[in-house]
Amino acid sequence: MSEHAAVSRYCRRVVSGLAVFVLVAGRGGVAEANAADIADLSLEELANIEITSVSKRPQRLGDAAASIYVITREDIRRSGARSIPEILRLAPNLHVARVDSAQYAISARGFNSTTANKLLVLIDGRSVYTPLFSGVFWDVQDTLPEDLDRIEVISGPGGTQWGSNAVNGVINIITRDSGDTRGGFVSLGAGDAERDAAVRHGGRLGEHGNFRIYARQFGRDETGTGHGVGRSDAFGYRQGGFRLDWSAASDRVTLQGDGYDGRIDQPAGGDKVLSGGNLLTRWTRLLADGAVLQLQAYVDLTRRTYPGSFAESLDTGDIEWQHRFKWGSAHDIVWGGGYRWLRDDVTNSAALAFLPARRDMRLGNIFVQDTIGLTESLQLGLGLKLEHNSYTGRELLPNVRLGWQVDQRSLLWSAISRAVRTPSRLDRDFHSPGNAPFLLAGGPTFVSEILTASEIGYRTQPSSRTSFSMSAFYNVHDNLRSVEGGAGGLPPFTLGNSMEGETYGVEAWGSHQAADWWRLSAGYSHLHKSLRFKPGSNDVAGLQASGNDPQQQFSLRSQMNLPNRWELDLSLRVVGKLPNPEVPGYSTVDLRLGWNPAPGVQLSLSASNLFDRRHAEFGAQGMRSEFGRSVFFKLDWRL
Amino acid sequence: MIAMESRCPCSRICPQRVGLPRPRCGVRVAAILLLHIFLTAIPARATDSGEDLGTRVMAAFLYKFANYVEWPAGMFPTADTPIRIAVMGADPLAAELATMAAGRTVQGRPLAIRRIAANESIAGTHVIFIGAADAPGLRRAVQEAQGQSTLVVTDFAGALELGSMINFAFAERRLKFEIAIDNAERSGLRLSSRLLAVALRVRTRAP
Repeated sequence: MSEHAAVSRYCRRVVSGLAVFVLVAGRGGVAEANAADIADLSLEELANIEITSVSKRPQRLGDAAASIYVITREDIRRSGARSIPEILRLAPNLHVARVDSAQYAISARGFNSTTANKLLVLIDGRSVYTPLFSGVFWDVQDTLPEDLDRIEVISGPGGTQWGSNAVNGVINIITRDSGDTRGGFVSLGAGDAERDAAVRHGGRLGEHGNFRIYARQFGRDETGTGHGVGRSDAFGYRQGGFRLDWSAASDRVTLQGDGYDGRIDQPAGGDKVLSGGNLLTRWTRLLADGAVLQLQAYVDLTRRTYPGSFAESLDTGDIEWQHRFKWGSAHDIVWGGGYRWLRDDVTNSAALAFLPARRDMRLGNIFVQDTIGLTESLQLGLGLKLEHNSYTGRELLPNVRLGWQVDQRSLLWSAISRAVRTPSRLDRDFHSPGNAPFLLAGGPTFVSEILTASEIGYRTQPSSRTSFSMSAFYNVHDNLRSVEGGAGGLPPFTLGNSMEGETYGVEAWGSHQAADWWRLSAGYSHLHKSLRFKPGSNDVAGLQASGNDPQQQFSLRSQMNLPNRWELDLSLRVVGKLPNPEVPGYSTVDLRLGWNPAPGVQLSLSASNLFDRRHAEFGAQGMRSEFGRSVFFKLDWRL
Repeated sequence: MIAMESRCPCSRICPQRVGLPRPRCGVRVAAILLLHIFLTAIPARATDSGEDLGTRVMAAFLYKFANYVEWPAGMFPTADTPIRIAVMGADPLAAELATMAAGRTVQGRPLAIRRIAANESIAGTHVIFIGAADAPGLRRAVQEAQGQSTLVVTDFAGALELGSMINFAFAERRLKFEIAIDNAERSGLRLSSRLLAVALRVRTRAP
């Protein structure tokens, strides 16, 4: 078939699709209460409006004076996304690349790979990064999308507040209070490549408490290469969990936990098996002097078996506290600390080995952060975290922020921070093959990677319907990971720190409520990397080993409320090409059509990659997965 | 990007010779589609994102509350003294309230909305809202409020015990509020029975 014919067919399909949408969109509707009219309702009527939550955007300088993008509950629902990585595509300050049925490469401000290691991810305050490679196994980070309150995506270093590994960004995934999820909920969905079912039940627990329990199961079909060859990576996963919240007088207590297990096909050697569970408790007390004290503790167990390559068992225990109070009229102080125990036990194979196989690690920290009101509109934030880890000992993570409230609706901010990525097991202990003589023999001298970041940003809300945010950064990296050749550039290779360089770029996004029924949002990011090896380096892997990033990304989303309780949502995502290994740039259009036939019932049809026959997002040409058009139909029923 | 030197046959939509890859052609179509829908669709029901709606409802409540509070005469030195509402630790709410209050009056008085920082004085303020983000500011605000008859409104659990008078709470997916009459009376404020009737819970004395 000629290219011409293919394009012709493609365009005809587009045109017929267009006609359908216009038909749907063009239906006239009865104008219901205008937003401004809410003020004219009676107290009783107001108390009867069904709503989901009230916006609680962060107010602290550390958050406000940073490049933070908040993915709201409504954005999540209207994206039709059903997994955390897919939801993260909504954040313009992240690069999210799907690798296969279960794996994703996700990073902020560059250095992306399937083992990206400069991003810290927390779910309800529980760190989900693995000390195996200082990154995240995205295949086991899940929950009910319906139970998410919001996801805060902060690009830029957050070391002072969140600790090492918060180098290029922090993702804060926050689930809803169980008081907001009372009643029953069932969600059933199926598409051409995926099936998903979830149930949840919540209710009161005594006078001051609430609870919810949930379970979810999904299956994804195997993905295929550009030549249509199956990759034998079908993925099946189930997860269950609970959350209890008590609030009385000035105390709030939360207890929550999850358990999961999953299986991913492999072309040979049996399924990859994943399982784990966690339990977290948090106690917040408002003290008599207006201060807030918070204590949190959790345990997290994970198991992962990849037949033929390795198995890992990781147990984590963590305890932390923080105390916030006002000192005098100008100081808002937060101080705290934490301690984490990690036991990582790897079962080695003939192909690779972590030596020693078992590592017990300790991570302790104390921090203090002072936000000083210099004048009515000028705030200065000073913070310092002192961390101690099992590999490199003491690390200092300082940060200075300045926020200037230009007027009631605009903030200009700037920050300078130092962040470090402490060694992971991959940097220190990784050997290949599994037995001597080794080709790669760990990184006995590997030390922390260091970032000094300068940022400036501006955020404004010229009207209650329009908001805009822009930030620019200049990062100086030192001690980035390199693969050093032995004598004469020959094996055994070891991991060293001889890469350095600068990265800089901008991130911008905005949203506009074009009409009461129509909301538009757009995002853009640009990244430039200039990396090199230090004199004397004997690197054999090249600069591309540090990650594969698009120079530019652009997104545009439209959310429309149509007559008769229909919703039409469109999103366009354009991702520039990845240089090495080369992945061509791509654009995709996703569509979601939702309908509420009755209160509490929602039907939706999502189509992803609508106009795109197939594209790859990550990996070397040949055996990488490519993703084409797919559809998914879902019923959500709130009982 | 893939370069493709062929004509897009649907020339009405992609009229020029395109060096565009297929997805880009799709993009163009999507843009036209959006424009078309914008031009043809009749404004439909005015719903908001869940969060925005919640914020609007809360703003509307705040504005309404002023109708059901009786302040001591001294709080209004002149006949045209506005009702001053201050918002702390809830910027989206402040913005919403400012939009809503424009051109409206309560008890024949205009409304003046301002956003304040945690360490600012609330002298002369009739209603203050303290958001959860600024919970530590509550104790100080309450002390100042008691000296001068400011209605203190909050939105976090346990606030009534700390001296708040009206506290928002979620119940059955709706925004409700609870009232501590004792705290209001201590500041010389009288709350109308109509307001009490709608409250989720009314506390007459500290437990």
